[in-house]
Amino acid sequence: MDFLVNWISNIPGFAVPFALASLGLILTEKSGVLSLGAEGFMLMGAMAGVGAVIVTAEPLLALVVAALATALISLIFAGLVVALRVNQVIAGLAMVFLCQGLTSLIGAEEGWTSRAIVGLGILPIWPLSDIPVIGRIFFRQDIVVYLTVPIFLAMQWMLNRTETGLKLRAVGENPEAADSTGVNVSLYRAGAIFCGAALVGFAGGYLSVAVARIWVDGMAGGRGWIAIALVIFARWHPWRALLGAVIFGGIEALIPRVAAVGIQVPQYFMLMTPYVATLLVMVWAALYGNTRLDEPGALGRPHVREERR
Amino acid sequence: MASEVEIRAPVRTRRPPRRVGLGRINLEIRQHVTPWRQALVLFGGLVVGLVATAVVLMTAGVGLPAIYDEFVVSIFSSSMSVSAVLIQTGPLLVVGLSAAVAFKVRFWNIGIEGQMIFGSIFATFVAIHDIGPEPLRLVLMLVAATLGGMLWILIPALLKLKLGVNEIISTLLLNYVAFNFLLYLLYGAWKDPKSAFPNSEQYDAVERLSPIGWESVTWALPVALVLAVLCWWLLNISRFGFLARFVDANPRMAAAVGIPIGTVTLTAALLSGAISGIGGFVVSAGIESRLTQSFFLGYTFSGILIAFLARNNPLFAILVAAFVGVLFVAGQSLQVFYQIPGAMVQLIQAIIVISVAASEFFVRHRVHWVRRSA
Repeated sequence: MDFLVNWISNIPGFAVPFALASLGLILTEKSGVLSLGAEGFMLMGAMAGVGAVIVTAEPLLALVVAALATALISLIFAGLVVALRVNQVIAGLAMVFLCQGLTSLIGAEEGWTSRAIVGLGILPIWPLSDIPVIGRIFFRQDIVVYLTVPIFLAMQWMLNRTETGLKLRAVGENPEAADSTGVNVSLYRAGAIFCGAALVGFAGGYLSVAVARIWVDGMAGGRGWIAIALVIFARWHPWRALLGAVIFGGIEALIPRVAAVGIQVPQYFMLMTPYVATLLVMVWAALYGNTRLDEPGALGRPHVREERR
Repeated sequence: MASEVEIRAPVRTRRPPRRVGLGRINLEIRQHVTPWRQALVLFGGLVVGLVATAVVLMTAGVGLPAIYDEFVVSIFSSSMSVSAVLIQTGPLLVVGLSAAVAFKVRFWNIGIEGQMIFGSIFATFVAIHDIGPEPLRLVLMLVAATLGGMLWILIPALLKLKLGVNEIISTLLLNYVAFNFLLYLLYGAWKDPKSAFPNSEQYDAVERLSPIGWESVTWALPVALVLAVLCWWLLNISRFGFLARFVDANPRMAAAVGIPIGTVTLTAALLSGAISGIGGFVVSAGIESRLTQSFFLGYTFSGILIAFLARNNPLFAILVAAFVGVLFVAGQSLQVFYQIPGAMVQLIQAIIVISVAASEFFVRHRVHWVRRSA
């Protein structure tokens, strides 16, 4: 029982990076831009977050810095795919490697690498946090965990209930049609990349500032790629992405606990599970439900106004 | 309704140009691009990338004369440093070919590192268990590496063809799986008891690619060059290459005229995996002489970069691989003499890809700058 409560109360912390990163990706991809740079953006956020904590000693401010730094670097990506119409796969991969190199370089130059920091503390919601079991699982978390569901609500509302959301989805489904009605396709796409990257960077910052409380090279460890897979699994629906994030948070929270209870599974096979699980989830998504139907119609296709179709 | 549309959006032969500040930019798509123009623009992109690199290095505290020294003078001043570049060129060329073969049929193989790991694991298995007669040992290791790489790409290739699972993500995820399996072996059954590090035992002399007799260049380079020529024949001369070009140019048309797209894609993917496996073998048997936990690092992106800059042409890839080899060697000496972290090489590669990719815009578009008239 104690094992169970211990495990479940750790899930939100592990799930939040997946949840926010895939939400950011959904925002970007709804505008028709394939964002493969997530792994790099998470690294950028993680590095910037730790750097900001070291400089300001303010974990919450650091998360904002993480989001802003990532949004800034995503402007390069926006310039490439929106203005210069570069192949989005090449541009996304280049961003991953640019960010890997850049974060590793800055971290080493500034002496931020492998330095333990004071992370984001938990914020118990007092009377509720004293309820046995439920209190520990739901009301002894940090502020970002509490905010995650409202953020999802806000995004869902923005995408489906506002004119901005409508135009954004139109740009992602059929940029030519959107263009002909006067929507500025480039602006919407650049904006979606910027805001989406900010969310992914925020997720990366959360990973380093609240979960790991340290920066080491490549610490995103494939979570950005898993988030991309989650978006496909979720078929671009925010709530399904949240569900997927909780599943993956559950797997990640389980790994350190299995060994602690004394179950003999070779460590390295345990460490494979998130990646194998992601692969299985993608196979499942391919077998059940036609992904193509929910995919933004123009995903990965640059909008070339001068080219008539 | 129809008349309303006509009034609101009268048919125009030309869209209004964008307005920017003092004038406006007119974009036009080029219908025909000469190879020379393409080469010139891409070269311009490369130069811009190198200038950006120099700026980054200068902000990191390396002066311009030192950059010139490390990247040009010291590389070509001694046969030893030329051989250092050639040693790097071998495996770089192999992974570049792997990427080129896959990209040729639009199969995004981002799992080169995972396939290298499995190639090396298979080759090391042959070496550890002394399988086969000694004169044939290296050949057996090469074959084993080929099979290992092929096996590791078989999963994502089949998932893509049968179920439409995105290969970018599946190949990449399998890198992590392969890496953890490698650690499992190196910290477990295959750990060299004589070493404090998680390495396999050193290969015997017959299990290493021997020097060809000039400086310390090993047979890895000739193997890579032969592979490049084979790939060139495959992609540009053979029937398979013709089909692959067809699939690349227009998959729908290719399907319509009865080209077996599935078979062509699967073949190219398996070849790509096999070549990556050989890449792992070339690093392990040619440079490290044992299986280590980091021999593969960074090769995926270098492979993509080489294939991208070489336009998937195996012969151009030779030149580009040598160029990346120069970057690697210069990066190593920057690390030693200026304490520049190794990540700098990765950053430089990314900058070059970005600037060359961006320059393609000017290959495909004609940009007019029109001054605003009064």
